[in-house]
Amino acid sequence: MISDMELVARVTGFNDQAAFQELVQRHQAAIRGFLGRLMRGDHGTADDLAQETFLMAYRKMHTLKSSGSLVSWLHTIAYRQFLQFTRKHSRQQVMAEPPDQGSDPRQAVDAEILVPRLMSLVSSEERACLTLAYAAGMSHHEIGEITDMPLGTVKSHIQRGKNKLQKWLIKHDHSISDKATAKLAKEAHRA
Amino acid sequence: MPEDTFDHSLEQLLGYPDSTRAESGEFVATVMKQVRQEQRTRKLILFSFGLVGALFGLAGALILSEKITWLFTEALSGTMTMQAVLIVVAALAFYTWFMNDDLPLEH
Repeated sequence: MISDMELVARVTGFNDQAAFQELVQRHQAAIRGFLGRLMRGDHGTADDLAQETFLMAYRKMHTLKSSGSLVSWLHTIAYRQFLQFTRKHSRQQVMAEPPDQGSDPRQAVDAEILVPRLMSLVSSEERACLTLAYAAGMSHHEIGEITDMPLGTVKSHIQRGKNKLQKWLIKHDHSISDKATAKLAKEAHRA
Repeated sequence: MPEDTFDHSLEQLLGYPDSTRAESGEFVATVMKQVRQEQRTRKLILFSFGLVGALFGLAGALILSEKITWLFTEALSGTMTMQAVLIVVAALAFYTWFMNDDLPLEH
């Protein structure tokens, strides 16, 4: 299989659109997933931002250093797109409603509902750090580079975010996480 | 809940949902459509500015045509014209060699 950096060289050197298409195909799931988590389940806006991310990547691909990681670079662009979007729409309510503390969380066992609800509990910085650490499996150092935060800040955001989620899950019924994870594991196995 | 178990649960919970092949295909197609559209716009802008430049160049050449003709017919001798042509060709060859820094890619 052709490496990412070789595809990047083809795009920058020969304006090879097939190579760029291959890069989009390879990384779209991660970028859409990341933005989906940041947007707390608003998949329509997340996909729009993901499209903007790839367009920006196409325009700026010549600036990508050969020693750098394409995945981290794409996540950096995606995070900046998200920050720009939230700044633009700061006066409007663009995010999903905050979690309804009074409702029965067992109704939200479905991960589709539970995860956006959990993401609403944490700040956007905590959300980004948690997603990059747990969903994208990135190191704290990589997260720091993507979010432009010092290492200590990344660690504290992750810890604080985790504590908030854990408290909420324990308060409502911690078995919720087991059920949801079991469901997800079943879905993953089926896929 | 023990820390490790919770970390594991978080990994599974926050993991990105699998998008279907149709969804992914649609997304990729939309991105590539936008890329092609942007390329077309860029080419159109380049062509428009190139055309404007060419028109101004043509106008300039027409204005200066008399002086240029005089330069090559009366002001410069045949030897000097030959030398000027050789210098220009050498300068162009050097420029082409100097600017051509694209390395061949191994496939």
